[in-house]
Amino acid sequence: MIRFSIATILLLLAAFAAQQFLSAFTGLHHSRILLVQLAFLCCAVASGQPLMLLLAFIGGFLWDAQCTLAPHPGDPAIYTQPTESLRFGYSILLFAAAGYLTQVIQPLFRQCKWLLTTALIGLTLMLYLTLERGLISFIRGELQIDQPTFLQILFTSLFTTPLAPLLLVPLWLIARACDYDDDQEPLRKHHR
Amino acid sequence: MKPLNLIALLLFLGGALWALTRSDRVVRGIQSSYYSAISPFLRTGSSLETHAREFLSDTKSAKTLEVELRQARSELNRLALIESRFQSLEAENNELRKALGFKQSAGFHVIAAHVTRRNPTTWWQTVEIDAGTNEGVRDHMMVLSKDGLVGIIDRTNPCGELSSVLLLTDEKCQVASRVEGSPEVGILCGHRGTPDGEALLRLRFLSPNAAVQQGQRVFTSGRGGVFRADILLGTIDSVEKGALDSEALVRPSVNFADLGAVFVVLPADS
Repeated sequence: MIRFSIATILLLLAAFAAQQFLSAFTGLHHSRILLVQLAFLCCAVASGQPLMLLLAFIGGFLWDAQCTLAPHPGDPAIYTQPTESLRFGYSILLFAAAGYLTQVIQPLFRQCKWLLTTALIGLTLMLYLTLERGLISFIRGELQIDQPTFLQILFTSLFTTPLAPLLLVPLWLIARACDYDDDQEPLRKHHR
Repeated sequence: MKPLNLIALLLFLGGALWALTRSDRVVRGIQSSYYSAISPFLRTGSSLETHAREFLSDTKSAKTLEVELRQARSELNRLALIESRFQSLEAENNELRKALGFKQSAGFHVIAAHVTRRNPTTWWQTVEIDAGTNEGVRDHMMVLSKDGLVGIIDRTNPCGELSSVLLLTDEKCQVASRVEGSPEVGILCGHRGTPDGEALLRLRFLSPNAAVQQGQRVFTSGRGGVFRADILLGTIDSVEKGALDSEALVRPSVNFADLGAVFVVLPADS
């Protein structure tokens, strides 16, 4: 269990490093490949709840450290209505929510149904992005996801999802090599 | 629920609560540590993106380049003419200021930088530039282009070579503004849901019967302690009048879709 946990944490950290090399597709509604979220979802589908929560904490914490903007530095007497934004750490809860969703499809992963697992991970990613954008929009006074934002979410999910098998298969192999069993049936039985 | 899962959930909720209650200062410290750790990847990633963009721009056809060169030459001649006129006007202006006993306005101390990365985050309108603390760049400094205000420095990278700029098109970047030729002042900020190429800004808190018209220019008012006065922001596109206040949509003077070279404004005493 320890070896598999370390492997998934290292994979998540490697995804953070690799994310720096992936720029946005400015011509396609600023969509991008979200490797960090994908790595987390793939790890979450392969892990038990305690490990998933640990990964959600690490992933959400580092993601917010990467993305959080500074508060407006202007005089509050002039800037009386600063634009509201979500607090640092909100991604931890979002990652956990997405992690719990992906754990529902764990049986498919155990049965090596990669295509279905990939499709459902893509759907979870889309839900994650919609929820995140919805929360940002809601805290600013209106719950609104306009067409450009929806297209950005859609293209981001479409570009990211096909990479899922590249992480799912190695994770499955690592789990098997580490004999990882998240208190359920061992992976080997299903493989047979 | 199994005891181990329950303990894990309680620990997770405790950790999340701890993270959510951190002050802005602590968050900036955490961000600084994170960017220190990740800066080698960030630098390589930025340089790769720059190379990719340069490669794509190099592949323009020779004919396009020829047309652009011809246009650039004629533009250069036009600008040379304007510059000579501008110099004489500036000298005349200084003479008049001296004569009237006005204190000469302090000039901008700027450093040039290039955009190395566009939109590194999912939702915020930010870019990264290749100037950092090594060149004297600090948080909250103004960033300009030749066409007007670009944004504000949001964060400097601990490596000292990169900075993140929050663009004027982001909702979080608010600028105290005034409309040229009218007493109207307001707060300008990004407008949600407009694609990059046709980004519009919102000028809020104008008076209910604001006498502003399409085509009027909008400048920084200098109030609020962040942005200097009289920097061009854009032109009024349309006005929506409300019962309590009016709001105008402003077309930015800067083309944010094609942002290359920018200038960071340093304090006058630097």
